[in-house]
Amino acid sequence: MNRTFLIARREYAAYAMTVGFWLSLLAFPLFAVLGGAVPILIKSSETVPAVALVEDGAATSGLAATVQDALAVETSRRRANALRQAAMAETQTTPDAGTEAADRVREIAESDGFDAGMAELRRVAPIAAAAWREPKPPITLAPAPAVVLAAAPGKARDDAARTYLSAGKKDRTVGAIVFLTRADGKPAARVWTARTNDDAVEDFVRDALKSANRREVFGASGVSPEVIVTSEQFRPQVTAYSPKASTGGEVSFRDRLPMLMGFMGGFLLWSLIITGASILLNSVMEEKSNKILEVLLSSASPTEILTGKVLGVAMLTLTMLLAWGGMGVGALAVFQPDYAAAVAEILIQGGMLAWFAAFMVGGYLMYAVLFAAIGAFCETPRDAQTLMGPIMMILTVPIMIMVMTMKTPDAPLVQILSWVPFFTPFLMVARLHSNPPLIELIGAMAGMFAFALLMVWLSGRAFRAGALSDVKLSWKSFGAAIKGGGN
Amino acid sequence: MTAALTLDGVNKRYGHFHAVRDLSFQVEKGSICGFLGPNGAGKTSTIRMILGLQPATSGRIEILGADDGRRVRNRIGFLPEERGLYKKMTPVDAIAFFGSLKGLPMGEGRKRARQMLEEQGLGASSRKKMKELSKGMAQKVQLISSVVHRPEFVILDEPFSGLDPVNQQGLEQMIRGLAADGATVLFSTHVMQHAERLCDKVVLLARGQKAFEGTVAEARATSRRFLELEGAIDPAACAALPGVTGVELVSDRDGVRVLKAALGQGGRGQDALKAAFLGGLDVRRFELREPSLHDAFIDLTGDNPDQDQSVKPTGVEAAR
Repeated sequence: MNRTFLIARREYAAYAMTVGFWLSLLAFPLFAVLGGAVPILIKSSETVPAVALVEDGAATSGLAATVQDALAVETSRRRANALRQAAMAETQTTPDAGTEAADRVREIAESDGFDAGMAELRRVAPIAAAAWREPKPPITLAPAPAVVLAAAPGKARDDAARTYLSAGKKDRTVGAIVFLTRADGKPAARVWTARTNDDAVEDFVRDALKSANRREVFGASGVSPEVIVTSEQFRPQVTAYSPKASTGGEVSFRDRLPMLMGFMGGFLLWSLIITGASILLNSVMEEKSNKILEVLLSSASPTEILTGKVLGVAMLTLTMLLAWGGMGVGALAVFQPDYAAAVAEILIQGGMLAWFAAFMVGGYLMYAVLFAAIGAFCETPRDAQTLMGPIMMILTVPIMIMVMTMKTPDAPLVQILSWVPFFTPFLMVARLHSNPPLIELIGAMAGMFAFALLMVWLSGRAFRAGALSDVKLSWKSFGAAIKGGGN
Repeated sequence: MTAALTLDGVNKRYGHFHAVRDLSFQVEKGSICGFLGPNGAGKTSTIRMILGLQPATSGRIEILGADDGRRVRNRIGFLPEERGLYKKMTPVDAIAFFGSLKGLPMGEGRKRARQMLEEQGLGASSRKKMKELSKGMAQKVQLISSVVHRPEFVILDEPFSGLDPVNQQGLEQMIRGLAADGATVLFSTHVMQHAERLCDKVVLLARGQKAFEGTVAEARATSRRFLELEGAIDPAACAALPGVTGVELVSDRDGVRVLKAALGQGGRGQDALKAAFLGGLDVRRFELREPSLHDAFIDLTGDNPDQDQSVKPTGVEAAR
């Protein structure tokens, strides 16, 4: 049997036959789910601050009532939005029709009240309606502490609020005290909170006072309060159109799917390549420190060893991709079959899968041989730190740029960086949704493969030199190995 | 006999460091050759050149008829100085894997591995992971890995290092067994006793240069016999004894000295002893000793084989 294949097979089996590998394989989607769930859990477990409103000083009468009105409006808005979200959760299996139905639920709730909205939700999404949970209001109002009310307006009340809020949670009934005042005749407030970083109350009060000011100004101009409320609740119907939309007109979620897939594809590629290259680095380091590399060298050429290891870890990376891809496709097919069809269409008919595969091969080759050559000089991860530190810093660049590609895939900086071979695979995959010119795609890919071949040649020389060397890794020794070459 | 290995005027330089100088020797087919020298004498560099892992700076190396060890790597077995195996593999898997790299089918490799492990008393450990084995056991497994494909030429770099006396004896038996089966064995060591017991031939290396090539008996013959005397003896008086060509003070404890009196060509120990007693020297113990390989090495090179001569090459020179 071919030596390269034997080494590749051992390399694959050494990792694939371990429980740790399969656990880490499951860890990625698990953490992805957790990553999405944690903000939701945090939000749902947040406590609603209890706030006391105190009209403080002359001509402040009515400001508290305005804030209360604003709270009622905001609570209604949140309920209407929550009805829409509940409807979306059940109706989004049919991408565009589902969104329309959910929007209609919100519209009814806003125009005809919550009960009418709930009735519509029961009609279009009965399961979601049965599981309905009231959204949390931004704040709850509570009576002001007597000690604060007893103090004289102004500084004395501030002192009283300071003392009151300094007490422990058990010894107070509110977490914030808002003194509603006037500054230059306009509504203003001094917001006291128990925590310095609590800006939820401040934000809500600011919006409420903006609304109060608007009502005062418009009211003074003779506009009735009903008109003001109606105008504040107005939600414009905005529809996006693009010649690049799949229908040639209105932009739907289906048209935005490639952008999300491009970003996710770029990130997936980055994760796979870095994981694979790191496995290779550790594997070579282990063989170097265990003195296995010298035994291998007496049985196979450095090229056979390097190729075998790169191939073995490539198979491992492919296993990871297939496992993650399989889990993703399976979950999509079960929970969102319509989206699954759209994703499949983009991947296969849109050509994204073919480009992804090509960029993966080039990207993996480039990083794998570099990491393997570094590993040949190192016995511990600490030894590798000299070169790995800067390389890992460089590798954070595509992650940052990939976020940019979602909104501005053709920005000059993104275009230029796409031609840097180290970034090409990630950035080009992330930019695929913007249909970059074919010449750019092929050119960047050709550059990447040319650079990957150069890396194979240079890293092969460094690997040969490093495998039998006792010298510690440094930029100088690595450079000398490349220059001096192997045997 | 035909040569399985020939080195002719081989040099190895690492930058300015001259590791091996004009080295020439031959190893006959089916023989056991000891490659002796202190640490850093150039043994490992030479072995790497023989295997083709490093190119010689100049000179010619021929092994099993090939001018490059890499061309006949499947016919060579190699045990490196610093040993290691995949810690998570079982001995059977590890042996079969390294055998397969040498062209042995995996199934046959496993079969032979089980058999050889059994012969070495490691049958019960064949399913354990390498990390669970003792150092001695792991070294045996590594040696089996290097010979499982039944090589014609076996190169063992410091095979006895780190082994306890019992395992050293077992390893000596294995080496004899390999030679008995027709393999040529070249092993490096800085411990002369192993070479004395095992070798048909020895090559002594010091500071990268060959100091001697021949049989153990021939090596010993280059060294002088000596008379070891103990007592309150004046070294000058000892030096004046008939046949004695030189005296070395081995120890001196409160005036009671141990002296090593070298006997020259034709010098007889009996004559020297008779003169010592007649001369009234305070001889409390005497011993007439034949030179060992260790003594021969010191006489031939002026170096002690137990002392380290290593000068580490800098940069990546070591790998070139």
